[in-house]
Amino acid sequence: MTLAYLNWSLAWDAREQFLHGLLRAVEVSLLAIALSVLVGILLALARMGKAPLSWVAATYVNIFRGLPMLVTVLWVYFGVALILGLNFTVFQAGVISLTLLYSAFISEIYRSALEAVPRGQREAGLALGMHPVRVFARIVLPQATKIAIPNIGSMLIGMIKDTSILTVIGMVEVTRVAQDIDTETYQSFVAYTAAAGVYILAAFGVDFLFRAVERSLSTPPQGRTANALHSRRRRRVEQVVRTVGGAQLEAP
Amino acid sequence: MTENSSPEADRPRRGGAAVVELRGIRKSYGALEVLHGVDLTVAPGEHVVIFGPSGSGKSTLLRTINLLEEPNAGSVRVLGVEYGPGLGGKQKRGSALVLRRHVGMVFQQFNLFPHLTALDNISRPLRSVKGVSRSEADDRAALALQRVGLLNWAAHYPAQLSGGQSQRVAIARALSLDPEVMLFDEPTSALDPELVGEVLAVMRLLAESGMTMVIVTHELNFAREIGDFNVFMDEGVIVESGPRGFFDSCANPRTKQFLAAVL
Repeated sequence: MTLAYLNWSLAWDAREQFLHGLLRAVEVSLLAIALSVLVGILLALARMGKAPLSWVAATYVNIFRGLPMLVTVLWVYFGVALILGLNFTVFQAGVISLTLLYSAFISEIYRSALEAVPRGQREAGLALGMHPVRVFARIVLPQATKIAIPNIGSMLIGMIKDTSILTVIGMVEVTRVAQDIDTETYQSFVAYTAAAGVYILAAFGVDFLFRAVERSLSTPPQGRTANALHSRRRRRVEQVVRTVGGAQLEAP
Repeated sequence: MTENSSPEADRPRRGGAAVVELRGIRKSYGALEVLHGVDLTVAPGEHVVIFGPSGSGKSTLLRTINLLEEPNAGSVRVLGVEYGPGLGGKQKRGSALVLRRHVGMVFQQFNLFPHLTALDNISRPLRSVKGVSRSEADDRAALALQRVGLLNWAAHYPAQLSGGQSQRVAIARALSLDPEVMLFDEPTSALDPELVGEVLAVMRLLAESGMTMVIVTHELNFAREIGDFNVFMDEGVIVESGPRGFFDSCANPRTKQFLAAVL
């Protein structure tokens, strides 16, 4: 087979399979990124906290930052499942593996983001008599999240790419679809170029999404989505200002 | 080093039990002691002004009153309840959370929450601390903004406010929680000179309303005007203190030297 004959229509004909594969990859990744952010925040807090707990967190981070995805997937799907006497589905094994690895990275992202929130913010919350947990949840965490968002976006792109490794435990996602086309037609270049295109499109999509989120988290919020989300609150503020003082809001 | 504390600081002033009573406050960072056993009493309705050079420990002293700085030794009594490490014995300490609900604080850098509007900067803590509903918190926050003349700016974010406006919102935020005493930590030091006046005007109104205030400041003309009791600190001790007229009657050479350089 030479380069002379490239049957690009194969890729187009397989669009539905590619789309299904991508949806599967996105499903796994979205669930895993949500869990990773949760675990990552807890790890970051543990690591910034007192001695025994901070050591545990640091050890966790260094172990799972150092593990390759392929090893982790095989370890979870075959190894851990055997020891625990469980049968993970491919989907579960994928989510667990990605969460184990990416929570380690995201804890580092959150650690630096939390440290970037000025100390005065926490002090102001405490001085107002807010409970330290509320100060964290309402004052510090939202500001740290705003700082962390671009990096979390990169993590999500990384995750979607890493789902390609889930082919080894039999998940039918984008890479697997390409492999099947290749096996049936020997059109390796077409098959894998198409797969590459799907991943790149996904990366653009995530980037677009996270830019929108970033804009809506800026203060004052920017972008149509953000304005729509804030319009109810703004009307409420206008109403309060009118009833309390008969006053009109200054234009922003 | 109680021999360094001036006797005036111990003297009970004005009627009624003290709002704030600091006794023998010591604070160290590692091997460096920045407060060497400081005493200070604040009576109800009194306006205490603390001034002195940078690094004299005046901000640290102010921050021990609401335990943002935990003293290493000494007694912090607020409204008759002991919150500090105490003066020995097995006194039960009050919780910092309860203490801070009686004490408002205004910071040099305002410390408004940048992700919230001016109104939410006030109503969010109100909901957390007082447990009131969102609509009641909003109403009370709007009244607090009205008090400092910023009701029309309710929907603005801190980044859209001037320094003077920000500090007035910060004052409104602290006042909305009905504190018994207000602490001001160099409230005008971060402001453009032309914006200092609007913040001092708000503080003047607050003082006239009878609020108990402890003010760390470099605005000595304002201090002279408002201070019922004036405290000069240097190198972690109170060098000299005195009632109204202090700025003209102080005797300590270090105080005179500082005032000559600043005024």
